[in-house]
Amino acid sequence: MTGTDEDAFRIIASSPDGVLQSELWKILGVDSRKCSRIVKKLLDSNRVERIEYRQEGIKTFRLIARKGPADPYCLLAGDELIPCIACEEDCVVEECNALLDWMYQLAISDAEESTSESGKTDE
Amino acid sequence: MVSYEEMLADKAIFAYLHRMIGDEGIELIRRFPTDKEYSDEELAEVTEINLNSVRNTLYTLYEHRLARYRRIKNNETGWLTYLWQLELENMYDSVSKDLEIILEKLRRRCKYESENAFYNCTNCGLTFTFSDAMDSQFVCPHCNNQLIHFDNEPLAFALQRRIARIEENLGHV
Repeated sequence: MTGTDEDAFRIIASSPDGVLQSELWKILGVDSRKCSRIVKKLLDSNRVERIEYRQEGIKTFRLIARKGPADPYCLLAGDELIPCIACEEDCVVEECNALLDWMYQLAISDAEESTSESGKTDE
Repeated sequence: MVSYEEMLADKAIFAYLHRMIGDEGIELIRRFPTDKEYSDEELAEVTEINLNSVRNTLYTLYEHRLARYRRIKNNETGWLTYLWQLELENMYDSVSKDLEIILEKLRRRCKYESENAFYNCTNCGLTFTFSDAMDSQFVCPHCNNQLIHFDNEPLAFALQRRIARIEENLGHV
């Protein structure tokens, strides 16, 4: 994969709805033929999927990044689940003390993780 | 395919489900018969879990597409019966949707943490932004204790790392 291929993938992956191929080559600053070659590489490597799309009667494709399965461990800090799951409070995320507690736990578990990793490296 | 019991053995999935449906909900999943569809009343009888808990759990799971129902009508009485089945196969889709929402929240919180300086009252544990602390002349408005600068950098850094991990997991790289 070249730098432009990676740039293309990053642009496609940056939106959950993906990007139209007719827009992608303009964003990348390449011509449409080169864009088609980049898209082909991404399709061949199974990193994106392509869905037919009509824009003002003209056929184009919507390109969407393929995701792996979501990682539920992203919701945990140590053993503590993020308080936002099933939260029924009025959300003021900047002032949420439950989230602040979780952030403390996150900082602690990150520090423990890096300590144990450096311990393994020392051995 | 991973069994429901194996799914519940996963620490993160268990915590996620437990927050949504509680102890009785988890028990319902453990005892849920998989041979056919069941009505809520049948489930309460088979699993020996309170009918209200069964209903609450099923509706919560349904909202996350982790359970589905089929509605049948009794032509004689006109009564509707809902027959339920679990769909925990959709677990990762459900987690993914929640992660999208949480990603936005963490980004907002991280911006707030990065753009503000904080001051702490060591007596009552309250935290104030720089402008609030300045308004009270760096004295706690509740106990008159001197406010002390609070270094939130480790929190902001931990948030940044987690945001990057979620972005990578969701393919927003």
